[in-house]
Amino acid sequence: MDDIRKMVAPGRRALLAGAATLAGTAAGLGPARAQAPAGGTVKVGLLVPLSGLYARFGQLMRMGAELGVRHVNEQGGVPALGGAKLELLLFDAGDSTEKAKNAAQRMVADHPDLVACSGAYLSSFTLSATEVTERAELPMLTLSYSDLITSRGFRYVFQTSARAGDQAKGALPIMLDLAQQATGKRPETVAILTDNTASSLSFVQPVRDGAAGFGLRIVMDETFTPPLSDATQLIQKVRTARPDMMVMPITVISDVKLLVEKMNEFGLGRGRVPTIGAGIAMAQSDLLQNIRPAQLEGFITVVGNWDAKGQEAMIEEFKRASGEPWMGQNSIATYGDIWIMRDALQKAGRADRRAVAEALRSIDITEGAALYYPGRRVKFDATGLRENAPPVVVQWQNNRPVTVYPRDSATAELFWLKR
Amino acid sequence: MNAGIEGFLQALNAGLLLGAHYGLMCVGLSLIFGVMRVINFAHGDFMMAGMYVAFHLFALLGLGAVFGSAAGPFIAALLAAPVLFLLGYLAQRLLVSRVTGTRVGALEGEGHYAQLILTLGLSLILQSGGQILFGSVPVSIPSDISSEAWEIDLAGGDVVVFVNQARAWGAAIAVALVALLVLVITRSRLGKSLRAAADNVQAALYMGIDVDRAHRITFGLGIAITAVAGGLLASSYPFTPYVGLEYVIIMYAGVVLGGLGSTVGAFWGGLLIGVIQQCSALLLPTQLQNTAIFVVFLLVVFLRPQGLLGRVSERT
Repeated sequence: MDDIRKMVAPGRRALLAGAATLAGTAAGLGPARAQAPAGGTVKVGLLVPLSGLYARFGQLMRMGAELGVRHVNEQGGVPALGGAKLELLLFDAGDSTEKAKNAAQRMVADHPDLVACSGAYLSSFTLSATEVTERAELPMLTLSYSDLITSRGFRYVFQTSARAGDQAKGALPIMLDLAQQATGKRPETVAILTDNTASSLSFVQPVRDGAAGFGLRIVMDETFTPPLSDATQLIQKVRTARPDMMVMPITVISDVKLLVEKMNEFGLGRGRVPTIGAGIAMAQSDLLQNIRPAQLEGFITVVGNWDAKGQEAMIEEFKRASGEPWMGQNSIATYGDIWIMRDALQKAGRADRRAVAEALRSIDITEGAALYYPGRRVKFDATGLRENAPPVVVQWQNNRPVTVYPRDSATAELFWLKR
Repeated sequence: MNAGIEGFLQALNAGLLLGAHYGLMCVGLSLIFGVMRVINFAHGDFMMAGMYVAFHLFALLGLGAVFGSAAGPFIAALLAAPVLFLLGYLAQRLLVSRVTGTRVGALEGEGHYAQLILTLGLSLILQSGGQILFGSVPVSIPSDISSEAWEIDLAGGDVVVFVNQARAWGAAIAVALVALLVLVITRSRLGKSLRAAADNVQAALYMGIDVDRAHRITFGLGIAITAVAGGLLASSYPFTPYVGLEYVIIMYAGVVLGGLGSTVGAFWGGLLIGVIQQCSALLLPTQLQNTAIFVVFLLVVFLRPQGLLGRVSERT
């Protein structure tokens, strides 16, 4: 019986805390607010998968956020709050939308003094977690791509990347122009090979709908459920269709290996069928432990963020501290999010989540935090979507993925095989 | 190029090669079920452990340098077998034996409830322990031949079939191991004791057979076999501590298709699943690959509930 009481006790405390919060809300007071003492600390959160299938991505996001907090604090914290330091709290979103939502509920119940958070890796996790943070009026910054995130009328979610559909619409004409410059001939046929995750489907939909507008004819269109057990059938179809280019958004590392190796096995890899992916899986450093990088040469992926000119010192420090071979979008985005939170706190002048949200809605910066986002401007529209966020095009060159677009951020030129 | 014929041959080839790997996995699970009547929900996770053991043996022993990166991964997969045999042997001795064998008489539902909870618990421990030990970064055993193929020209070059070298060698090893296991079970004294323990625990005890020992060997052997199957896949498939979840359903389907308790049947069941999975993409959307497996699975259960090679009558 005692054991049972011990098990129940924390839950009861949490329940009481939740009840107190609810009572406060009902009385029109809103969630408890913290006023950071001068020189004290301000709590910010990171809600990402730290266990389960997606833990690796969460760890990368954690590394970026921790570096961001360290840099902010080393550079004086938040001057408007008397130099208050940021304190990063971590919350494990686990490996399902249910766990992500539960983690968000614990986050808002246990930490009423949290002023902002970042997360939650997968769009589906972000969609469920923001249902909770919205009710708690806690601003949440996210790199997630789904079009739905900022189309629900929410006021406390801020999407820092271009949405998946916009990424495809933005990147495809650029690719076609580059192909024409390189080969003298514009691609006329396209194969679509995608997994059925939300972000991949959002990416290919504009291609399906607008292929004719781009002057493209779809010669193959295949959707599969990840993870694949074998890619032979899919690549055989590509071999039969002989497209001028392929759109292949993939979200699982094992699928990237199976597809890329099979393309090489069938003589279609290394740029022979120019392939445009979407998302981080095609440029994740983990690929180095699973595929010979030469096999990835020429593969292109469109992402929400990547390294850019002007970030060299920060990236070198990240590489030294983390042992990672490069700093990808997950780490850069959370690093940047911490700087946006700092700027918003500075603008708000108080450690209050409503005030921080209000500051985020009106923020318009082209320096500081803006350096860590493509387009180099942080301004959110009425829905919370970052305005004019361009897609970032990354291509494998000389055994690593490099930024080739936008041009002002590019660290290399895109190449397209002439044949 | 005759696209239709080429596509079919390519699918059949991929299905057979992958199916042989599935078959080997299923044989391990079937052996445990056949002899011990234990449904091992942790089987996929023991396979995961085998993949990691093969991966680390490959690196630690420098098998790539010694045998070359073509043969090294297969040697690593085979070397994982004794390690996983020991793990399975100990797991049976310390845990599983408490809810199996002669003790089931004292347990509710002939020990099946306790077995279910125990193996599910083992599964969770292996997954979480794997994440603590090995991390969450997907890894695979580096191989020079995972993306190399033999090109077979047919019909005067009109049809070309690509046979993946890593998968082909893996399938050959899988077939050889199944043949060896069948020989051991049917021809050796050890095999006779396993069969006796499978047929009737009490009778085997009365005949002087050490049933507990037979069960320990069975559990170790079943896990070692599946670990080799995992090791053979580990050069072409990146894995994490959660990889077992992706294969355990296929293993169950293969075992039921082949006939519960039939070792050879389990291999054919796994092989059939590989072929259905790959060939279904010729007729159905690729998204329905795994659905096709279970449609065929349900058909077999409906038309031939004992499975392809299962026995109709109850055991004595």
